[in-house]
Amino acid sequence: MIRFGPGNLRIPKFAKPVYVVAGGLTDYRKKYPEKNTCQLCTEGLRMAVEENDLKVDPEQFRRMVNWAVYSQFADHFGDQLLAAAKIHDYLGFDPLGNVEIKTGGATGGSAVLAAAQAIASGYANCVPVVGWERMDEVTTKVGNSYIAAAACKDFESELGWMYAAYYALMAQRYQYENSVPHETLAKIAVKNRLHAYYSPFAQNPGKYTVEDVLKNEIVSDPLTFLECCVMSVGAAVLILADEETAHKLTDKPVRLAAICGGSHTLRTADRRNMPILLLPNETEATYKEYFQGRRHEWPGFSSFLAARMAAYLAYNMAGIKDPVEDFDVLETHDAFTISDVQTYEDIGLRPYGRGHEFIDSGDAYFDGRLPTNLSGGLIGTMHAVGATGVFQLVELLWQLQGKYDKFHGDPKMWTRYGKKKPADWKSLQVKNPKRGCAISHAGTGSHVTCAIMEKP
Amino acid sequence: MAIDWPTRAAEVLNDEPLVIKNDKFWYHIHSYGGWGKFFQGLRAKKLLATRCTNPKCAEKRLWLPPRAECPDCWHDMEWVEAPQVGTIYTHSTVTYPGELFRLAPGTPLISVEIEGVCTKLMSWLKDGKPAFGMKVKAVFNTAKPTNTILDLAWVPA
Ligand SMILES: [Zn+2]
Repeated sequence: MIRFGPGNLRIPKFAKPVYVVAGGLTDYRKKYPEKNTCQLCTEGLRMAVEENDLKVDPEQFRRMVNWAVYSQFADHFGDQLLAAAKIHDYLGFDPLGNVEIKTGGATGGSAVLAAAQAIASGYANCVPVVGWERMDEVTTKVGNSYIAAAACKDFESELGWMYAAYYALMAQRYQYENSVPHETLAKIAVKNRLHAYYSPFAQNPGKYTVEDVLKNEIVSDPLTFLECCVMSVGAAVLILADEETAHKLTDKPVRLAAICGGSHTLRTADRRNMPILLLPNETEATYKEYFQGRRHEWPGFSSFLAARMAAYLAYNMAGIKDPVEDFDVLETHDAFTISDVQTYEDIGLRPYGRGHEFIDSGDAYFDGRLPTNLSGGLIGTMHAVGATGVFQLVELLWQLQGKYDKFHGDPKMWTRYGKKKPADWKSLQVKNPKRGCAISHAGTGSHVTCAIMEKP
Repeated sequence: MAIDWPTRAAEVLNDEPLVIKNDKFWYHIHSYGGWGKFFQGLRAKKLLATRCTNPKCAEKRLWLPPRAECPDCWHDMEWVEAPQVGTIYTHSTVTYPGELFRLAPGTPLISVEIEGVCTKLMSWLKDGKPAFGMKVKAVFNTAKPTNTILDLAWVPA
């Protein structure tokens, strides 16, 4: 679709307000032989129910649940079809109804969207979203083939069997059009790995320098290993409720003001040009010069139409006028440094062609105007795919509830995962944040969701 | 009559915690359906694209990868030979490919822009060093075709 009809851009509405009340995580590891998937999901749910200051005990909570949503990217990683049924039983939720959602890397975002739809329609009023991925059953090389099976198997998978290569093709084109210094891209990897350094959940924390990233080995040029997310094992759980139930459960409910989805072709090859879909903080004038520059097409290979579509709907649904002003904290799907810069533009943090300024200006940092990926993101903390979008919203919830320190700063949280809290640990709690946003992203931009949470 | 225990044992990779190896041996039977003509075309050194046959459809350009039905109007499409020359729209050399990759590590992947085609086909460069805007021409693996997209490659024109 390159021409919109009137129905296509309808702004979604929730018939009833939707709230987020609690979140739970596991730590994330490359391999997790000590715990199977059912156990990891239980661990996430337990944290959500038992450690989020809920006003009900676990047994009372169990009796309030009336629907469940499961979030797993790839059955072939877990090697267990209908894994959701096994987990649902293990969590003791039978015979309640449930669904398992699958939209690649955006599975977590889509699962929360599905749960929100259930609450907003009145179908349910208390819904756990349980996300996980188990990526340690195969070697890294086979894992890359499995992930590349989420490219078009007829015309693209064979060309590399490696998702980083498909992103590298976009990265090269983006760089050809925009000439962003590789140093700027490297800064994203440095920032997110540093944020991960403060998180007990993180798989890839570290104090790296820009030089470390630039000198790192290349996966597919121009992307280095340190600029790519890795495969993880772990789970994440988010609990959604309607207004009345939310207040029964917690004194600190956060409202899910919007969560919307967009899509684009699985094959980057098939992305035809169209006029730019403008966000509330853009006008025709924003791009007056645009087509006279080197960049002569949109979305081309350099922009994610799915992300733009999701942001367009969510911003209009939640009344966002300017994302950098209106959000206090942001979680992006930083699977690769370059795709993060592309996303900054798609979600309107900067106009197209100027995404790098979001990093270079300092806006994206903890002390900046819109701290981004304080969780450590996908590069630093985790990409257990089905859990990822859920994890982002759990971290966002804790930020909005002022609970960053509770979950990241307690030395017991570190010892729980066999780690030691660093002596130079630093709190990344944003001061009194009101509103946050999370972007969940699949494929080379096949599905994207944009979620906006705010304090009531 | 007692039934025997299984003869094929799973290899134990670790005992505490217990980790075993589950073997998998099988193939998938893949049907190209209405797109098969494209891969058959490669054997005959033809680059077959499709075009919408609906006169009311706004998209007059060719699709490559081909589609049997038009995404803009769901109309049937017709097969047309696409030009065998194009330019490199983007490129990346993959150092660490995934398990199933059949070409050598270090193969440059490319996306090719072809005049009159509305898509930018992903492919690979068989010879030379890739560059943006570089003119390339199609070459075909006819000797021992894989019947996959790898049977098409490009060389400097
Ligand atoms: Zn048509």
